[in-house]
Amino acid sequence: MRKLIRLAVLTGLAVWAWRRFFRSTGSLERAGISYADGSAVVLDPGSAAFERLASIARTTLRQ
Amino acid sequence: MRTFSPNADSVAGMDAEQAVRELMEISSQITAAIVFDADGAMLATSSEDPAASARLSAATLELVAAAADLGSEPREVTRVEVELEEGAIFVVREGAHTVAATTGPNPTSGLVVYDLRTCAQAIDAPAPKKRRARKPKEEAS
Repeated sequence: MRKLIRLAVLTGLAVWAWRRFFRSTGSLERAGISYADGSAVVLDPGSAAFERLASIARTTLRQ
Repeated sequence: MRTFSPNADSVAGMDAEQAVRELMEISSQITAAIVFDADGAMLATSSEDPAASARLSAATLELVAAAADLGSEPREVTRVEVELEEGAIFVVREGAHTVAATTGPNPTSGLVVYDLRTCAQAIDAPAPKKRRARKPKEEAS
């Protein structure tokens, strides 16, 4: 029984440590566009183009 | 659980409203959807609220216009996806139709885009021709 409790505690600690130290902390926000000529762009948060698309999307998603 | 099985015969040649209904049934992630023709006229929407449909319609056309204007010269846009903390908007242009949809946060982008493409293709596809039953050969007398 003690071994089982120890194993559960260790598993919990390992999961917490993984989330604390290894999980990506970056923003999940992003935008992507594909064109008929086969090209595509990914816009990162902070860029003017991203903010333009995000402001259009926000007005719809927040209502 | 997704219970969608793409069957070309079952989805081909359906009208826009039917295609949107099917899209809403197969995708648990999509919260609203709208279909436009090549001229940007709205053909069908999942929402019963005209104001909500108008907002999504305006946002879709605005997103496509903004995406086309990025870069030095305007280009034809085939897909736009904007993922934010509060949700996401996807726009897919396939053939003569454009389908747009909103989702909640953290959608599975690939699946949503696939579902939107399938929806647009279903509207674009010609209805299957009905086969005529063969007349039985007349016996030579």
